[in-house]
Amino acid sequence: MALEVKNITKRFGGIHALTDVTFRVEEGEVFGLIGPNGAGKTTMFNIITSMFPPTDGEVVFSNKRLTGKKPYEITKEGVCRTFQNIRLFPDMTVLENVTVGEHCRTKSGVFASVFRLKSQKVEEEKIKTKARELLQLVGLGKYEDTFADNLAYGQQRRLEIARALASDPALLLLDEPAAGMNEKETNDLFDLIQKIKKLGITILLIEHDMPLVMRICDRIAVLNFGEKIAQGTPDEIKNDPHVIEAYLGQEEEDELA
Amino acid sequence: MLAEIINPYYLQVLSFILINIILGVSIYITLSTGQLSLGHAGFMSIGAYTSAILTLNYDFPLVVGVILGALLAGIVGILIGIPTLRLQGVYLAIATLGFGEVVRVLFINWESLTQGAIGISSIPHFGRELVTGLRDTGFTADMIGIRNNQLISLLVFIILLVITVLLITFFVRQNHSRVGRAFAAIKMDENAAEAMGINITYYKVLAFAQGAMVAGFAGALYAHVTAYISPSDFAYHRAVEILIFAVFGGSEVIWGPIFGATFLTAMPELLREVSEYRYMIYGIILVAMMAFRPQGLIDHEMIYKIKSRKKKKKKVEDDKKERNRHGVGS
Repeated sequence: MALEVKNITKRFGGIHALTDVTFRVEEGEVFGLIGPNGAGKTTMFNIITSMFPPTDGEVVFSNKRLTGKKPYEITKEGVCRTFQNIRLFPDMTVLENVTVGEHCRTKSGVFASVFRLKSQKVEEEKIKTKARELLQLVGLGKYEDTFADNLAYGQQRRLEIARALASDPALLLLDEPAAGMNEKETNDLFDLIQKIKKLGITILLIEHDMPLVMRICDRIAVLNFGEKIAQGTPDEIKNDPHVIEAYLGQEEEDELA
Repeated sequence: MLAEIINPYYLQVLSFILINIILGVSIYITLSTGQLSLGHAGFMSIGAYTSAILTLNYDFPLVVGVILGALLAGIVGILIGIPTLRLQGVYLAIATLGFGEVVRVLFINWESLTQGAIGISSIPHFGRELVTGLRDTGFTADMIGIRNNQLISLLVFIILLVITVLLITFFVRQNHSRVGRAFAAIKMDENAAEAMGINITYYKVLAFAQGAMVAGFAGALYAHVTAYISPSDFAYHRAVEILIFAVFGGSEVIWGPIFGATFLTAMPELLREVSEYRYMIYGIILVAMMAFRPQGLIDHEMIYKIKSRKKKKKKVEDDKKERNRHGVGS
């Protein structure tokens, strides 16, 4: 059930967003993808979920090639994501947002829905029950009838996670889940990610909050200007000179030399 | 008694309101996936012409003609819906507007089949056909004490009412299901919807074809209610009229276009003096709506408020009952 990213290159016109990036996410781990702004992290997410195709290379998930599939097919394969800039369905209630996530795991069509077949009613009940369970998990149980738009920022982020979890993913891609959160919300998020990990879901995480990344990730890959400059455990990454250089710039002596 | 109440003229107005409600529903379905179509007059004309020609020239039964008309409009809807999938907003509106004009010009010039700009007359009339059928079973208008033309109008109205209620039920149920949620998700954020596992191609074409089919259905009914159709019935102003039902009433919930169609069809009849200025008023309404209430009169929030008020009322009543019961108990 591992995710393999093989030699991915992405060019937008003359801009090299990603150059020959390769890494592997093992089943059950929390894998961090970090790097300065514009390093190509979100581009990598968009390529994994086929929002656009790579210029070169391929993505393989549990021995199935994801590259070339449509985004909805990738969700069906068990890879689901959240967005850096929150993209909930604003005019739907919290509960409805989560039920949309269950779309690819359910199958009632027009006919079954209109004639209210027994199978459809049973399925609707299951969808709602599961959605409520997920809302409990992310701590939004009492907000199910609120419009998604009216939730606080941190709550919206957690609702996005619940919506993604509704599609029964084996791999969850989180794009900066802690962005804009205060310390308490970040701590809650830490607990939530731990809970999701315990459910047996592999997590690939983009995040700028370094304390959180170092605490929660089993392994980390670092991107800078579209290239992978380092990979390893949080301790290895903390002490890697390339990473320090990318984040803080070169030391003065080097510049003078 | 009955003879005094039934006024064929009012019944006809009500019948047109019902047909316009069906048209309003048709534009609502395509809009519910965020697709703005100005081609519904075109789909309507396909339904109308198909059914008229089949029943008049080929002696098809009326019901079969109407169904085939709706189906053909639906099929054309699929054919138009697939290539225009990538178009959004204004671009889709222009493409579908072009389609509507192509269909109209086709009907004008295909004289051997459609009699061109003159139009097709003496199309079998719904009510008259039914009354003839009823007469064969031995039922006539004077048996319930009304004139023949009253019975005709009454039957047309009742049938249209049943059809409209069934159609609305169909789409209300569809909305409250997995399919409806997929439609709404696509409307609100297409990319997010696809990332959540929704096959947007399928649902967008489905919505477009459903809208086209319902418009074709309304067109076929229109042909058999007026008994006369010509290409000018389905020109640009008709497309805009259908769109205004949704713009005025609101396109977020199905009740919006239903209200819009009802109000805007009834208004010129109620205010005879201003009916000449109808299109001017439409224009003013459009400008005013865009400025002050772009989502239309009836929106999500309104429905939500009505629903929660009902819930609250119910709760208050339940609490009262509970208290009363306790009162009796102690």
